[in-house]
Amino acid sequence: MPVRYKLKEFLFETIIRASGLASIIAVGLIFFFLLKEGTLLFQTQTLGDFLLGKKWYPISEPPGFGILPLILGSLLVTLGAAIISIPLGIACAVYIAEVAPPRIKEILKSGVELLAAIPSVVLGFIGIVTVVPWIKSTFDVPTGLTAFAGSFILAFMAMPTVVSIAEDALHSVPKIYKEGAYALGATQWQTIYRVVLPAAASGIVAAVMLGIGRVVGETMAVMMVTGNSASMPKGIFYPVRTLTATVAAEMGETVQGSDHYFSLFAIGIVLFVITFAVNMTADVFIHRRRK
Amino acid sequence: MSSPVIQTEGLSLFYGDFQALRNVNFTVMEKRITAIIGPSGCGKSTLLRVFNRMNDLVEGVQVSGKVLLDGQDIYAPETDLLALRKKVGMVFQRPNPFPISVYENILFGLRIHHLADKRRGELDRIVEESLKSVLLWDDLKDRLANIATNLSLERQQKLCVARLLVMRPEVLLMDEPCSALDPMATARVEELMQELKKNYTIVIVTHNMQQAARVSDDTGYMYLGELVEFGPTQKIFTTPRDKRTEEYITGRAG
Repeated sequence: MPVRYKLKEFLFETIIRASGLASIIAVGLIFFFLLKEGTLLFQTQTLGDFLLGKKWYPISEPPGFGILPLILGSLLVTLGAAIISIPLGIACAVYIAEVAPPRIKEILKSGVELLAAIPSVVLGFIGIVTVVPWIKSTFDVPTGLTAFAGSFILAFMAMPTVVSIAEDALHSVPKIYKEGAYALGATQWQTIYRVVLPAAASGIVAAVMLGIGRVVGETMAVMMVTGNSASMPKGIFYPVRTLTATVAAEMGETVQGSDHYFSLFAIGIVLFVITFAVNMTADVFIHRRRK
Repeated sequence: MSSPVIQTEGLSLFYGDFQALRNVNFTVMEKRITAIIGPSGCGKSTLLRVFNRMNDLVEGVQVSGKVLLDGQDIYAPETDLLALRKKVGMVFQRPNPFPISVYENILFGLRIHHLADKRRGELDRIVEESLKSVLLWDDLKDRLANIATNLSLERQQKLCVARLLVMRPEVLLMDEPCSALDPMATARVEELMQELKKNYTIVIVTHNMQQAARVSDDTGYMYLGELVEFGPTQKIFTTPRDKRTEEYITGRAG
């Protein structure tokens, strides 16, 4: 091979390899930076006080850096969103994949995609002006800015992910399974819940996990409607604050290099670990499905 | 002598504007194997799928004429479609056991027809009996909990037959049941068909003429949606009346 070609080959290979590695390097650097800043908190605080402490008073004297209320806030909002979006999302996916006539199917699919295109801040302010007053009057609570409002809004943010991935999983169930069920005298509903859903189970679990991953990491909408109260959550109809909202709300006002500053990074690590675990679980299920 | 189980009278079928079956008069006799042969696209699978109304799943399908099962018109409005499919089972070209355990595959039919709320021991007995009748029991008795889609294709196909038998059907429709199998497996499935003939009426669609000649008692030759010739297999293969049948049988057409 002439030297000219060899050089060209080498150049392209290097460029492509560098692009491929860039994303991994970026993740690595972000994680390293997060770890470096976050762990500095533990020069003054213990891990136990941080994760299990019930008091988040980062600028009081003496300060409290317990993020348990924030973890529980995130958990509560996520759980609520999951309870709303999982059945709704799966039912919607089943309808699109199995029941809807072709025209309605197309309309619904683009509708779901459109839902994904709404910026979270827009969902947030729609939540403030509609969902929040509705919760206040319907459930007779002092304020509508509650964990439930967050769950409600986030459910609609998780929906597009859940629906499109679950629909994909249902769609890829071989047609011969369905034919077999119908030929045995199964009704459409029996075919769906006895054959199609079990065959698509791992894809549906992946859809749910990715939807939850989206919810855990969401910041803006949830900050706008949950009331931002960093105390131990008392229930679904009380104001709460999530991990993400805390970082977003306080990062701008903290002194660089203070314990408060480090604690926000430490929260970042916690979030990173949670979303990583959720996405890994989803990945396991996606691969199981391909096998 | 046996009596007719399925009879069609002036049966025509359209997919939209396309006429797939033309005035077909076809008879299936009890406890015999009836083969339908013919070139690709001649309507043989369509005809088979008329008998359990699987064509209903296709959009824009229209059927005219009569299809009688035990003297009842299965296209009459009062027909119970689910009961019909329970009575007329179907085996497909690609083995299609469900991706659940062998055990649950066999009981699937009973469960969907709400006939399975019996004691565990009774269900075990049903599974054993049906696997024995398709000659699979010795192979699978220790693997009942395994996922059925991991079995060999031959076992999958036999399992698909076993899954039908638990519902005590009258007729078994087989749509090229051996086309995914190797010659040895094909021979064993054909052997099974002879065994099943004692208790069931079988209609088989096949593109393999030797198979039709080997297994069937009656044969119908179809061409372009028409039933060209129908009669005892022996006669169709040795002294066909119609020139088109003769050309196909001798390999000059199709």
